[in-house]
Amino acid sequence: MRPMVRLLAAVAAMATLGAANPEREFDLPTYTGAYQPQNVDERGMWMVDDESERLTRDSRLVIRDEALNNYVHSVLCRAVGNDRCGGVRIYILRVPVFNANMSPNGTMRVYSGLLLRMRNEAELASILGHEFAHFEMRHSLDEFRRKRSTSDLLAWTAVLGTLAATYGGGSTQSYGDFRISVYGALFRFSRDQEREADILGFSYMAEAKYRPSAASEVWRSAMNEADATSTGRALRGQRYDKTAFFATHPTNLERADYLSALANRVPGGEYEGRNAYQAALAPWLDQFLEDQIKLNDFAGTEYLITRLGAEEWTAPLLLARAELYRLRANPRDLPNAVEFYRQALTLNPDLPTAYRGMGLSLMRMDRKSEATPSLSRYLELKPDALDADMIRSLVAPQ
Amino acid sequence: MNLIRAIAAALLVLCTSSFGLAQAQERTAVRQGFTLPPNSGKTILLFRPTIRVGAQSTGGMFEPNADWTAQGREHMGVSLRQLQDRLGNRVIEASEPIGEQALLVAEHMALFAAVSSSVINYQFFVGNRLPTKKRDNRNDVFEWTLGPQVARLPGAADADYGLFIYTEDQYGSTGRKVLQAFAMLGGVGVQSGVHSGYAGLVDLKTGELLWLNADGKMGGDVRTPEGAEKRMRQLLEEFPGSSVQTAPAA
Repeated sequence: MRPMVRLLAAVAAMATLGAANPEREFDLPTYTGAYQPQNVDERGMWMVDDESERLTRDSRLVIRDEALNNYVHSVLCRAVGNDRCGGVRIYILRVPVFNANMSPNGTMRVYSGLLLRMRNEAELASILGHEFAHFEMRHSLDEFRRKRSTSDLLAWTAVLGTLAATYGGGSTQSYGDFRISVYGALFRFSRDQEREADILGFSYMAEAKYRPSAASEVWRSAMNEADATSTGRALRGQRYDKTAFFATHPTNLERADYLSALANRVPGGEYEGRNAYQAALAPWLDQFLEDQIKLNDFAGTEYLITRLGAEEWTAPLLLARAELYRLRANPRDLPNAVEFYRQALTLNPDLPTAYRGMGLSLMRMDRKSEATPSLSRYLELKPDALDADMIRSLVAPQ
Repeated sequence: MNLIRAIAAALLVLCTSSFGLAQAQERTAVRQGFTLPPNSGKTILLFRPTIRVGAQSTGGMFEPNADWTAQGREHMGVSLRQLQDRLGNRVIEASEPIGEQALLVAEHMALFAAVSSSVINYQFFVGNRLPTKKRDNRNDVFEWTLGPQVARLPGAADADYGLFIYTEDQYGSTGRKVLQAFAMLGGVGVQSGVHSGYAGLVDLKTGELLWLNADGKMGGDVRTPEGAEKRMRQLLEEFPGSSVQTAPAA
């Protein structure tokens, strides 16, 4: 019953947003480039944004690899069109978190954790398009104004509530209820913006001929990963069938549902761009996987790696999985780690870290005679490694 | 019961308005043994000041204003050069760096902000001392440093000291003032407007923090030339070797 209601609601929301003619539903609105801020609020926001872009630009977190930057920019251009993408500055930040955002002055921040989680260009395009849609619809300005009027209202409520309390008149309880409903409206407003951005994002995908269902797959995997993380940490999982009062985004389930409902109607193409994406990410994959492993989130990382590996188990993925198991280091993890290292080395015999990890795992399992050749191979491949002396002392006959 | 509700409401108002109690006073400190005689002809490298000017909404939100900020930046720059000329120092503005140097400058700006807020939070005001700084506080020792890496900053080789300036102004909107008046009737304090700032001088050879002045309630309307001059006087109050006349309180 409930999913049906949700579906109908999504369709109803679409109908009010899209044109009356269903065939024109995903037509792109006209776009004016080089937009300049128009009024006091907007100019103020842009000023703050310009300052924050300066900080971002001069940050060591920014990945300055030209090839990767050009590729991500080209995906945005393909997704939203060349007339739209021209003025956007993209900063790829080395932060192992699933996130991207775009601010009013046209700054787009893409986190490395997002790039790691995408399996192909269509998935990346769906996220970049969504963020660009927020920008095109100038959502930040609306949100700022909405927050301001809400906080104004709350301040008045607090003061009037105090007056009522001090002078014994009126009911402070009713002021309290009012406050809660005001907060609720603020967060609902923000969820509506998300839905609007999702729908405009689909229009870009349709125009660019990307496979539309990629968008809902992204949200399903986000949900599964969060579930894996909470199960792994013995926390109660998030509930996806109800929206929390303070949630700024629709629940991922609701989102995945209405996105797949929409995807069925979008006249999109079939382009996925898997090979292009893998090639562009290859030089950074090891680094991004290493950053993810250091989050110490075993279950979430295991989910993420197996999802990427479900299409094809490559040496970097097997190596990362092995490292993940070796670093958790329960006795039962070590045989798994050794097996994954072995598989990684079968695919690529020149992985010094795999020899190191395999040797250390075997050493830990008291299989020194098997461990020694691995560690020696590591030293051969990387004689100047930072930990070379330490490894040598392990290999040396006692 | 009513009292509890009143307190809760007052707390809510305090939370929605943005100001720190710790910054509500003014403090200055100079590193022991550091003196700068007037007219010593030193060169001071001014890093891009952080200036935020805007309004404060009824609910206490900061509403940035681009025009006011541009005016403040312009006027304060002019009065800083005038004041330092009178001290006999030469102020040069750091040029906008690019590439690796830009990263270095950005890191040091952030480091200065972190160090000076530690000074303000943990040394200037009683009751919130860092355990490692307790002895310094007792003995009135002012010893903080950004580290000798500052010597690598672009322009550091040609200057003696680096000057960092931060100001934030939120002019209370009409709505905020009306709210303040009503709140007073209810016996609740609502602050209208935020005017805080700090300035610090760093030795560009050693990285030592030589002087820091912080003020949570500054005077002078930075949107006008006269007001900006008053603000700059207050920021540079007790600047080492200073004969800058103390500005009247706000």
